[in-house]
Amino acid sequence: MPQKKTCVAMLLAGGQGSRLGILTRHVAKPAVPFGGKYRIIDFPLSNCVNSDIDTVGVLTQYKPLELNAYIGSGAPWDLDTTDGGVFVLPPYSRGDEGEWYKGTANAIYQNLAFIAQYNPDYVLILSGDHIYKCDYSEMLSHHIKKSAALTVAVREVPWEDASRFGLMNTDDEGNILEFEEKPKNPKSNKASMGVYVFSFDKLVHYLEADEANAKSSNDFGKNVIPAMLDAGEKLTAWNFEGYWKDVGTIESLWDANMDLLKYPPPIDLHDRSWRIYARNEGEPPHYVSPKGYVQNSLVTEGCEVFGRVTGSVLSADVYVEEGAVVEDSVIMPHSVVKKGAVVRRAIVAENAVVGEDAVIGEETGDIAVVGSGTVVPKGHKLAAGKQMGK
Amino acid sequence: MKKNVVGLIYTGERVDELKELTRYRSAAAMPMLGRYRLIDFILSVMLHSGIKNIGIIMQKNYHSLMDHLGSGREWNLHGKRSGLTILPPYMTGDKTGVYEGLLDALHSNLNFLRRSTERFIVVSDSNVLYKVDFNDIVAQHLDRQSDITLLYSKNADLRRNGSGRYLDISENGTVEKMEFDPTIPHFENTYIGAFLIRRELLIDLLDRSVAAGQHHFSRGMLSQMVIEKTHRVGSYECPGSIWVIDSVPAFFKTNMDFLNDEVRHQVFQDEKPIWTKLRDEMPARYLEGAHVNNALIADGCVIEGTVENSILFRGVHIKPGAVVKNSIIMQDAVIYRGVELENCILDKQTTIREGVRLIAPRAYPIVVAKNMTI
Repeated sequence: MPQKKTCVAMLLAGGQGSRLGILTRHVAKPAVPFGGKYRIIDFPLSNCVNSDIDTVGVLTQYKPLELNAYIGSGAPWDLDTTDGGVFVLPPYSRGDEGEWYKGTANAIYQNLAFIAQYNPDYVLILSGDHIYKCDYSEMLSHHIKKSAALTVAVREVPWEDASRFGLMNTDDEGNILEFEEKPKNPKSNKASMGVYVFSFDKLVHYLEADEANAKSSNDFGKNVIPAMLDAGEKLTAWNFEGYWKDVGTIESLWDANMDLLKYPPPIDLHDRSWRIYARNEGEPPHYVSPKGYVQNSLVTEGCEVFGRVTGSVLSADVYVEEGAVVEDSVIMPHSVVKKGAVVRRAIVAENAVVGEDAVIGEETGDIAVVGSGTVVPKGHKLAAGKQMGK
Repeated sequence: MKKNVVGLIYTGERVDELKELTRYRSAAAMPMLGRYRLIDFILSVMLHSGIKNIGIIMQKNYHSLMDHLGSGREWNLHGKRSGLTILPPYMTGDKTGVYEGLLDALHSNLNFLRRSTERFIVVSDSNVLYKVDFNDIVAQHLDRQSDITLLYSKNADLRRNGSGRYLDISENGTVEKMEFDPTIPHFENTYIGAFLIRRELLIDLLDRSVAAGQHHFSRGMLSQMVIEKTHRVGSYECPGSIWVIDSVPAFFKTNMDFLNDEVRHQVFQDEKPIWTKLRDEMPARYLEGAHVNNALIADGCVIEGTVENSILFRGVHIKPGAVVKNSIIMQDAVIYRGVELENCILDKQTTIREGVRLIAPRAYPIVVAKNMTI
């Protein structure tokens, strides 16, 4: 029988991430590479272990193979312990029942038995599509201090953008009075981050009620939180301050990568007290040749640069040939930019080859995308905002 | 081939010529090529040959090596059916724990040899960087019905006047003569301090040699086998480049050789990674004003100045206006504004203050010891 845990984390990693277009055609969004040597899921997983949470369930259902392989035993995050660790939780059949995860709340509902094994007092619900460093233990302390049924992490967004978010209207003490999904006339600028701490008994109660309601779309934001407010439960908002970026679109994923090039960067990945852990591929240090030129960029181990790289993020094992130019772009692991090719304002996914003299993206305009495993033919032109690949 | 070979790495080599660099560490723990320690290379070669049980004989200054190896997890050597066995010296009624040579060290670790179940054992020094497939050596060993197979190289860079072990090899590959520390080596084949032997034969030989009062493996036991022809001493030529890190200039040259594309691609192959302890550093950051050419740079570096023909280990910070040429900068060093370095080896956690110039001739690099501030 597993040991009792104060808090178990559940990471919702099943979303398709369709707004990332070709980048999530073969992998789930949390497995999308970020910042040279990370994948998006490294951020919530590292936040968990840095917050002393050692038991994490990862709920997967869309294209899980690469994500499963990436998580593996959990060793990169120290989550391969004998009394906890990381568990990949796909939907499963239970006799005559069994179905896909219908919504965020349903995904957790279907795994209540997993959580119950640890008899936790609290459950932390996370999503796998944000780049941020967050001490969940502070949020948990807040939840305990407030004796709340549910604590929602919020951050203040500019008022003019507020109507794009799910907003928490709170009283002076941070108690949530009302939840509004993308209201036209916002009364608050406290946007939900999709990070929740539930008291376990309340979670069980409201998920069972939600499941019994045939009309519910089984979503935390749309259904569970409003139901708890209606029932008069104590819901508090916990203010998160710091860098937080949704990387759910091509534009925002590119933006978040570019943020790492600012000096000082708005999110410090150099911070030794809050390391972001990642699975390592065992690559040698990167090499810049006598003809190579690198400026304002991040370059990861395993890269070899013979061309010109500026304002870009090169992931592990990227090869930039002589005479190639990479500007303001993100090149994901194991890709090659051949001689004379020019890549500007673009994202080149994993294992792609940009052929000789090909031109990807333009100096202005939307981000161009080359999908994973794609071979861009010699001399091919891909205009701004276009995507190509399998 | 199914687990038929156990590996044993000897880290007690004499390293006087590595000077300050080995004051606090064995040669096996020497930082190499930006993110490795020397032992990572022989460990990875064994792993890629399918060797899953590896013992490491420690002698002195082995703290940094123990810290590096940990449970062996990074090398996948932490399983129930596989593993890393750290063999530190220990004192018994009749032994002091100080090994007089490899033979002594092997004899002191007879338990490891007896407890292993594999048919063959590979014993290797740790200060050699080479790539072989031990399966090929086993195949040749069986084919030629050798009792022991010594690994050698014809690489002229390995020959040193006044030191080293050299082999005269007959056409059928048998070692006919051995030469130790000759003023000028007569034979072109340098023994690289690694051999393959049937495990039980080694146990038997060790018992008998120690009973006969021998302490040295090669110049005692091995040389006797060659001279008296009691056993068939075979040989295997290590292909490709090979480096022995036995002096400051050799260490310097070995690292610099990896700025060559061919050398790098020979040793670092995608399908055969060299595993090492991880630090989870972010990728290297190049800021405005960074000028880097012909350099190997590890993750966690921040570069604002000029770096040429150099190797930067993890977490090195080159501040604006600093110029680093032909140098090896180990982890977490900070090189301040206006510093000029040429032909320097900076050990870990050094700080070079604003405006300092350290310029040495290429043949005699300046070594700045660990934790120093200049």
